[in-house]
Amino acid sequence: MTFRIREIKRTAAGREIVRDRDLPGDALSIGRAAENDLHLPDLAVEPRHARITLNDAGRLSVAALGSLGFVVDGVDARAASIDSAVGAELGFGTWRITVSRDADGTVLLTLRQADDAATRSGDLEQKRGLSLAGVLPGKRAMSWLLAIVILIGFLAVPVISNLTRDRAAKGDAVIGDRSWNPGALSLAHHSLTDKCEACHIKPFEPVRDATCLSCHKDLQDHADPQRLAAAHGKLGVGDAALWSIAHAFGKEGPGACRDCHAEHQGQTRMAAPAQQFCADCHSSLKKNLPDTALGDASDFATVHPELTALVTTDPLSQARRAQPVGPGLREDNGLSFAHRLHLDPRGGVARMAASIGAMRGYGGSGLQCKDCHRPTEDGVRFQPVKMERDCEGCHSLAYDRVGGVVRKLHHGDVPQLMADLWAADWHRASPMAGLIDGRRRPGSAGQAMGVSGPFAFRYPAPVRPGLSVGAALSRQGICGECHRPATINGRPGVVPVRQPARYMMHGWFDHADHKQEKCTSCHAAAKSDTAADVLLPDLKSCRTCHAGEDAAAPKVPSTCAMCHGYHTVEHGSDRRDRAGG
Amino acid sequence: MAGTPASRNREYATAHESFLRHRGFRWAKVALGLCGFSLAVYFLTDPRPRPSGSTWIGYTLGTIGALLIVWLALLGVRKRAITPGRWSLKAWTSAHVYLGLSLIVVATLHTGFQLGWNVHTLAYVLMMLVIASGMFGIWAYASLPRALSDNREQMTQGQMIEALHALDRQLNDAAQPLDRARSDLVIAALAQDYFAGGIGRRLSGHYPAYATQAAVNALSLAGEGDAALDRVEKLLVRRKAMLDRLRRQMRIKAMLEVWLYVHVPATMALLAALTAHIISVFYYW
Repeated sequence: MTFRIREIKRTAAGREIVRDRDLPGDALSIGRAAENDLHLPDLAVEPRHARITLNDAGRLSVAALGSLGFVVDGVDARAASIDSAVGAELGFGTWRITVSRDADGTVLLTLRQADDAATRSGDLEQKRGLSLAGVLPGKRAMSWLLAIVILIGFLAVPVISNLTRDRAAKGDAVIGDRSWNPGALSLAHHSLTDKCEACHIKPFEPVRDATCLSCHKDLQDHADPQRLAAAHGKLGVGDAALWSIAHAFGKEGPGACRDCHAEHQGQTRMAAPAQQFCADCHSSLKKNLPDTALGDASDFATVHPELTALVTTDPLSQARRAQPVGPGLREDNGLSFAHRLHLDPRGGVARMAASIGAMRGYGGSGLQCKDCHRPTEDGVRFQPVKMERDCEGCHSLAYDRVGGVVRKLHHGDVPQLMADLWAADWHRASPMAGLIDGRRRPGSAGQAMGVSGPFAFRYPAPVRPGLSVGAALSRQGICGECHRPATINGRPGVVPVRQPARYMMHGWFDHADHKQEKCTSCHAAAKSDTAADVLLPDLKSCRTCHAGEDAAAPKVPSTCAMCHGYHTVEHGSDRRDRAGG
Repeated sequence: MAGTPASRNREYATAHESFLRHRGFRWAKVALGLCGFSLAVYFLTDPRPRPSGSTWIGYTLGTIGALLIVWLALLGVRKRAITPGRWSLKAWTSAHVYLGLSLIVVATLHTGFQLGWNVHTLAYVLMMLVIASGMFGIWAYASLPRALSDNREQMTQGQMIEALHALDRQLNDAAQPLDRARSDLVIAALAQDYFAGGIGRRLSGHYPAYATQAAVNALSLAGEGDAALDRVEKLLVRRKAMLDRLRRQMRIKAMLEVWLYVHVPATMALLAALTAHIISVFYYW
């Protein structure tokens, strides 16, 4: 067996010198010492470094002799077995020995000296290629880039734009502050969405009440500020601490606009203040403000005074007084009227309504509330009952007929009534005669007169040409059916009738919201025999459906704001539109 | 007594405590306490009109969250400062992980679930991105080093590259007798860059048909008998095996490293967004 050793050396000029020599035998030694078969002059190589033995199958065994190993195909080893047909590369210091087979089958060992040691652990540059640093931009660069982009786009641009904008010029809006908007503005303020500076006037200064009031000019104070402060009572330790922090940050309050009206809560109506805002003062108002006329209130279901209605005590002078609502509450509205009589489904009124139903639109089962009480256009309240429209179907004011024309008294106009009656041409042969003192059948008069009203009024016997004004205005007369005679400014007349649209001036009630209820579930009209009955439901009645803010179904959760206004204490509720519910 | 050294050894082996278990999960308990506190103040109070960052609870949670974020980011400074003694980096890392996770609760409750297209939500999203990448990092550090070590089989990374170089040199010599077409195949294989391919290749470890594979395929069809051809084919197969191992190494390494490429830049972006968030809130106060 033979080893063929091929030494490749490079001259200074770069020319390669290739020298082959054959070494007979089946083993050879490698080392720095000159006596080795393969003499490798390199200090990193041991004097007697390794030994290679060759077996019959052309397999080489390499074994280290000293303490240092060698490199086989890039890997450190102390022993290796190599098939010369496949080959391998051995490394000793800077020397590389390539194992292969020559064309004639001899094992060929090619010696070459490299620039660097085979044993050093890889190229640092190339090792870096293994990590992600080779394929991704550096973390530091990315960090700086992202941070600077964010700081410029979301901070520097809006701030500089805000500080340098021309405050006088309209339409010179702050650039880029849309990204600062923490949430959509309420519907009412939606048009201000891109005009942050409309409310946020000065940097680092909270939105002031004065800014709100610059638009909301006609807002009323809820109460005198000193009384407000007194009503608040002493703040608890926690609240006082929170407020002192808030004040340190420049906030106004308690009681500032934004304390109740939180903005940027989404594109809805600004939420009505929670009942707690009211209860803060009103739950112990009597204690903190002893001279108040108001009862304590903190939750509709538990602490709330009885409802108070403003009832008429004297219709002549229009005097009114606030009275707690209850079954016994009476007023004097000047009218004589019995709801029970008109609503009794088996009474005469019902029969009559049935007989003229087709003409007047009354149902077959007698009069209903809606036949006389007509809702206002918005459905919130009811129009006053009008004689001509709502009563005259039955209570006719016809008194004469001239040719084809039926003459009727003018309701509500006493001087006109007096003139008409004095001038009436009264004679027995007139078609009215039968109406007045003859016997008649129901409905016949109406047919005879060609008017809708089947009833004519009771005329006392005429004492002189024309009808008696005094009789008509008397308790037994035509007017006395519903009115009380009275002398007003020295002239005969009737007590004026007062039909209030509202009884509760500090609260809000919307009939339209209660459409699914029957009238009688709140108003006990069918049991009332006198117009003096104030048929308003009391607190207990409201509480059958309504409870406090945290009420669970089926009760209706009802905050203070459902019925009461804050800024509009006296008349404001009157102005409140339906959407404001 | 013979068993004593062994048992001592075993004790020593189990004495290693990972940063996750540091001091019996001390910082996990602190973080849980913080989450409990945040949840309690959030659900036991009833801010009106709705929970948000601008209630006193919102400001409290926001302050805690902002301070936490700044402190957590300081790990990058802390780990570069080698200090002896009680301020152990392990404790710091343990606290970093658990307090970082507790931010999910603290900051989410701070938002009051009011999110939108604005700088405030940008800060929140960046924070969640940082936390998510950190969670991936913990998973990677807990499970990948074993895979990395298994793949290496006592080779260093440098040796893997050296081995490839050694094979390449042999291939270059061995391919000398080959004809034009076949030597072109070998040249193509040798010219192949081990580190080619972007982040996608690195993470998936999927490299579609590459030159070494193509050369192996072509030469294996060339038939037996020719010793030179045979040798080149065997060298190519070895090269391919080594290349596959190198690529597995790169893939695991990429998984180990990639989270930091999200975690660190996203943290810096978060600090910037947090600054913008806080200043903008007080600017339009």
